[in-house]
Amino acid sequence: MTLRSERRLPRLFLILLLAVLALAGWQWRHGAPLSANLMELVPGVSPDALELVAEQRMQEPLNREVLVLVGHADRPHAIALAQALGQQWQASDLFDKVQWTLQADLPALRTQLLDGRLAMLSTADRQQLIDQPQAFIQQRVQALFDPFSGFSLVPSQDDWLGLTGRIQNSQPQRGAIQLDVGSGALVADADGKSWVMLRARTRGNAFDMNLPLQVADLLQRSRDQATQAQGQLLAASGLLYAAAGQQQASREITWVGGGATVGILLLLLLAFGRLRVWLAFVPVLVGMLFGTVACVALFGRMHVMTLVLGSSLIGVAVDYPLHYLSKSWSLKPWRSWPALRLTLPGLSLSLITTCIGYLALAWTPFPALTQIALFSAAGLLGAYLSAVCLLPALLKGADLRPAQWPLRLCECLLQAREALLARVATPILLGLLLVFCAGGLWHLSTKNDIRQWIGTPQHLTDEAREVARITGFQPTSQFFLIRADNQAQLLERQTALNERLDQLVGLEKLQGYLSLNQLVSPPAEQQRVREALARLPAFWQPLLDLGVPVAALQAELAQLQALPVQDIDAALTGPLAEPYRTLWLGPAAQGVAAMISLQGLNDAALLRVQAVDLPGVQLVDRLGDLNRVFAATQISAAELKLASCALIVLVLIWPFGLGAALRIVALPLLAALCSLASLGWLGQPLTLFSLFGLLLVTAIGVDYAILMREQIGGAAVSLLGTLLAAVTTWLSFGLLALSSTPAVSNFGLAVSLGLAFSFMLAPWAGHRAHDAVLEPAS
Amino acid sequence: MKRLCTWLLLCCLSPLAQAFDLQQLSEQLARPEVIHGPFIQEKHLRALPQPLISKGRFVLAKNHGLLWLLQTPLQQDYRITAQGIARRDGNAWQMLPNKSAGAEQNRLFLAVLQGDSSGLLRDFELSLAGEPQQWKLTLTPRSVLLKQVFNQINIEGGELVQRIELMETQGDRTVLRMQDSVATQPLSEAEQHDFAK
Repeated sequence: MTLRSERRLPRLFLILLLAVLALAGWQWRHGAPLSANLMELVPGVSPDALELVAEQRMQEPLNREVLVLVGHADRPHAIALAQALGQQWQASDLFDKVQWTLQADLPALRTQLLDGRLAMLSTADRQQLIDQPQAFIQQRVQALFDPFSGFSLVPSQDDWLGLTGRIQNSQPQRGAIQLDVGSGALVADADGKSWVMLRARTRGNAFDMNLPLQVADLLQRSRDQATQAQGQLLAASGLLYAAAGQQQASREITWVGGGATVGILLLLLLAFGRLRVWLAFVPVLVGMLFGTVACVALFGRMHVMTLVLGSSLIGVAVDYPLHYLSKSWSLKPWRSWPALRLTLPGLSLSLITTCIGYLALAWTPFPALTQIALFSAAGLLGAYLSAVCLLPALLKGADLRPAQWPLRLCECLLQAREALLARVATPILLGLLLVFCAGGLWHLSTKNDIRQWIGTPQHLTDEAREVARITGFQPTSQFFLIRADNQAQLLERQTALNERLDQLVGLEKLQGYLSLNQLVSPPAEQQRVREALARLPAFWQPLLDLGVPVAALQAELAQLQALPVQDIDAALTGPLAEPYRTLWLGPAAQGVAAMISLQGLNDAALLRVQAVDLPGVQLVDRLGDLNRVFAATQISAAELKLASCALIVLVLIWPFGLGAALRIVALPLLAALCSLASLGWLGQPLTLFSLFGLLLVTAIGVDYAILMREQIGGAAVSLLGTLLAAVTTWLSFGLLALSSTPAVSNFGLAVSLGLAFSFMLAPWAGHRAHDAVLEPAS
Repeated sequence: MKRLCTWLLLCCLSPLAQAFDLQQLSEQLARPEVIHGPFIQEKHLRALPQPLISKGRFVLAKNHGLLWLLQTPLQQDYRITAQGIARRDGNAWQMLPNKSAGAEQNRLFLAVLQGDSSGLLRDFELSLAGEPQQWKLTLTPRSVLLKQVFNQINIEGGELVQRIELMETQGDRTVLRMQDSVATQPLSEAEQHDFAK
């Protein structure tokens, strides 16, 4: 019964398997080549190198900084607690820098203020000095008497005109954070508590596999400690999201993978009544191995999301052995090699069509889907090869005793179908189905948002919102990128944009922004200030009346006239420039570039309008761009789907002929349509992911139609084979639907619904006139 | 001999037993509901031969805050409350932007006037000398940051605070005199109105 080739195949396959195992071992030599960086999964929409640099610069603090508020009803307690935690964090070796006090270097601040008297003056102060020198002097006189103006850093005799005081007062507010002068801590008061701000910068970033979990652990310990001291901790950081994402991914891999495995093993045992049939799980393991190795070989590393989605492959891979195992109901006695020979054409067709479906995903611009497609295609190939080459040898001599109830169930199902068809003709049923579809499509809404990719725990977002409310810091991911030929032009372009942004701030559409020209004004403006100062002696009599020596004023004026024009690099050296430093991108390919960061944004569309007709100004809105790419990709995904169907039809024409091929492909297409309609009826949105899910439905559903069409061993046995294949696949995709990541669960739901419809529709694949193909086996 | 010793000991102890402590000073200064009085502010700037002198009136109300009404050489009214500092602009009070350092200084100022020693203890070393009717409190900054701003703050008074002297690190010095304050007069309607808005 066993051919010679069949004796050599297992050995050849084992050699291949060993080679792949060795490759896997080499790939994992430095630990798991896994990644959790979401940005690796989304399409690279910015081909511009400068834009990428800018984006990295803005992302960096999100991925490396932890902002903690240490709250206590009593301020000294809060400060003491922050100090204790700060020291622990510093000692933890996870952080580069832990900061909870403002290390004010007053002499350096004074120097910067004095040197920046021409360059750092705010627009309003500059305008007053130029247009209303009288009022300017009057305000200075008032300030000298004002007991509440706060202490100025520079003593009066070094700055009779009060320019440094004005600069000091016009610095952008640090949110609601105040300096506790006694301790140097940065404190915000809210909800009857004092919140001390603690900032820590990690050594690595959020995408190092271990760091986020370590930081989350440390934070939890600190929380417990704070609670014991009647305090409270609030934290916000990209690292915490990464930690939550990793924990969730590993939880879900365990669930989906473990759940599907247990379910499938149980099903095999129930159906075939022999423990040895568990060997059918070997192709699944081999498939996973092949998928992982191929993925790491091509992409360098594998994303955890690929693993989560890829674990659904378990249910698909096990279908190959099921193809011939299910023949044990009709082939008696069942022998592994002959059963394989009988089902090999169907198996191979199934591999080709499913791979076409998966590989269609690879043509989308999403690295995430390319990875999943490659993982799945390689995995399926591995599963197919082991099912064809190795498994029959392992199962040789196995005496399968399939339980009879599944067969009876299928017979009942078929009879029910016949009974139904006797009353209602197929065209009417089809009509009803189309009505169902039309209704569902009517209710279907689409939704595309990058946030669906992240299953963000509510408590993390709530806490981040609390932190934003208490501190007044509401960083946004959007920013403006400004390019210019030189620094002067850059600052002027920023001024033009800032005029528009100020209006938005006035309308409360924007909370604030940070721009280099708030720190240093364009050279032309510095020159105007210098000229205005030269005219000031005509107006400074009120100061002389107070007793300020005229010689002192003249000396100060001479000093001011001698101050050089400050450029951006010089302005960025002092301590006041700290928040501005990230904004300066310096010399770029053509000229120079800088960013403007934004706070508390309500309306991104409004921002986009601001950049219109301002040369060199560009809004960088990665999330918005991505969401637009998502929407655009939906259309190309639909085209891909049709293309993959056409390809499958071409493949199927050869064994079945054109008419049957069309029929076999039309069924899963209809199933996909029904799945779409069901999403509509269920009130679930159509996302890019559900659409990709439907791509798969076509590929896997074709398999069921082929099984039903071939009818090896009779209609009931074929339906049983289809049912087994469908149940195992549902198990794995159905478990995906339980994922807390909206994108993953949406994908799982779309696929399981589609497969359910594929199964129901499969009997309509018709059957070809059976001839001698079956006879030799019996 | 024994008697003499006891007597001597008692002599030494008695000032301690009756020593005027911070607690008592706080209580004494916190007692009046409302204080009215004139003030003279002298700003001694290191580079000016004569001080910048301004005069006016103030109203300190225990549960409200402080009205500081500058009259010469220019007229300007200020109000310090828990909400922050405001300046009278025509008929309305204009809240001034809450600058961290300024806000902290004004908190200090209120703490000094109201004898809130717990508020002061946080940031300063306090040393008190004298007796209830004539005392002198010296504040020396504790923190590095405050040390870069103030050398020392001296407060003198009797029943009420009479003189405050701020000595800045840079060499400037501000003296506030509040000689003829009274604690007997309730808030006038206009003053209540000023605190209410």
